[in-house]
Amino acid sequence: MFLLEPEQWLRLLDGMWVTLQLFAVSWLIAFTVALTLTVIRATNVAPARWFVDAYVEYHRNVPLLVQILFWYFGMPELLPEGFRGWLYQHNAELSLAAIGLGLGSASYVSEDMRSGLRAIPMTQFEASRALGASYLQSMRHIIVPQALRLAIPPLVSRALLLFKNTSLAMAIGVADLTYQTRELENETYRTFATFGAATILYLLGSFLIMFLGSRIYRHYQLKGGARA
Amino acid sequence: MIKVKNLCHVFLAMAAIVAMPAQANQLEEIKKKGELVCGTLGTSQPFSFQDTKTRQVVGYDVDFCKLIADGLGVKVNYKLLSVAARIPELSEGRVDIVAANLGYSEDRAKQIDFSHMYYITPQKLLVRADSGLKTLEQLDGLRIGATRGSSSEREIKKYLPKSDVIGYADSSAAYLALQQKKVSAQFASELALVRLMLQSPESSPLEIMEKSVFDEPWGLGIRKGEEELLQAVNKILDDAEASGEAARIFEKWFGQDTQYKIKRSFTIQPLGN
Repeated sequence: MFLLEPEQWLRLLDGMWVTLQLFAVSWLIAFTVALTLTVIRATNVAPARWFVDAYVEYHRNVPLLVQILFWYFGMPELLPEGFRGWLYQHNAELSLAAIGLGLGSASYVSEDMRSGLRAIPMTQFEASRALGASYLQSMRHIIVPQALRLAIPPLVSRALLLFKNTSLAMAIGVADLTYQTRELENETYRTFATFGAATILYLLGSFLIMFLGSRIYRHYQLKGGARA
Repeated sequence: MIKVKNLCHVFLAMAAIVAMPAQANQLEEIKKKGELVCGTLGTSQPFSFQDTKTRQVVGYDVDFCKLIADGLGVKVNYKLLSVAARIPELSEGRVDIVAANLGYSEDRAKQIDFSHMYYITPQKLLVRADSGLKTLEQLDGLRIGATRGSSSEREIKKYLPKSDVIGYADSSAAYLALQQKKVSAQFASELALVRLMLQSPESSPLEIMEKSVFDEPWGLGIRKGEEELLQAVNKILDDAEASGEAARIFEKWFGQDTQYKIKRSFTIQPLGN
């Protein structure tokens, strides 16, 4: 068969499945946390701003690998013994890696969202408050929907980065696509074929994300009037 | 379309590299150059690592490179390789011979030729001394930590079919996972385990299970189809065994004067079959 034997392809596909799961969960975490951070920051209350700044700077300046290692080797030591044991028996590697990746990426995602937010004129916010909407209502119905639309292109490239960064999780033994590739290479010494096959799979994943991103972009694009 | 075209070029270039014909006779080439390019890892104590004082690469693998070069009557030139790069570098001809933790298996022997075995590494299990785990059977179904790349997940799975094997990035990460009770045992070469056991604090002692799970023999890697070079290398290895030189090198890196204090339990002999 092309590049590899069928059962070797299946092994890589196993890894691909883990990679996709890891990506989906960590992206969900990153998006939720980032959205929360963005809204907190937009309140412009000093302590809230400090908190978000500290969060963003910590996660942007500490290498992602170190963050993952912290979540796997450091954080569980703070948990009660019983829960820890339970966690280790239930695929702790995958879930802790997803948390580490998700929280780490959230800082970048929140910066992307903030740049979208800053593109919306403050007068819109003032107008909406003047019409009687509360802070959260203005955010929910007026500002954030527009800001997220503007942030879609950078968010897609952020998603692509996260997709590839999932390979860092193999440091703590998550059997993702890169992990399976290395194992297969190590067993067969067919370096070009295995890494070539993995490249194809990663490319397919990236193209899928780009395709979904452009669909979402077009779906939410504002029709008519001046485009923000 | 430009993108697609560029991609095609890249693939063509890669295909050309893979399909590059082997030189007519590498042994003659080496003698003509007067130099043997020998690939080692450079990060794998005590096989190939940097001596902190002299800044030279030294070790068991390095000494074998030197042995082969001396036997061929040429100079030796060391090239440091990463684990993932060692096979491509060999098949592209950028190194003549590789001494870099190449464990023999039939699958691997389809890609490169192995010289006679020059080292054998017993793969063992490390457990916490208070865990009460003594035999391999007790471990089946428990989580095992391993180091990716050194010994394959699939191998240990043959012996512990019910266990989950977690492959960590390096042996220190697997060790930490063992100490934190994330895994019940660590699977690695005896050497790595001895080092970890000696380093572990007195408050949490570790034990190596006496019986090895299996033994992995290592050979030097040579590009496929270089029969004359292979014969010459094997002859040099056999001579070194007969003269006691091979045993002397072993003693230098693993013997009583080192932290490992391991007895040589093998002799140089053909691999496979």
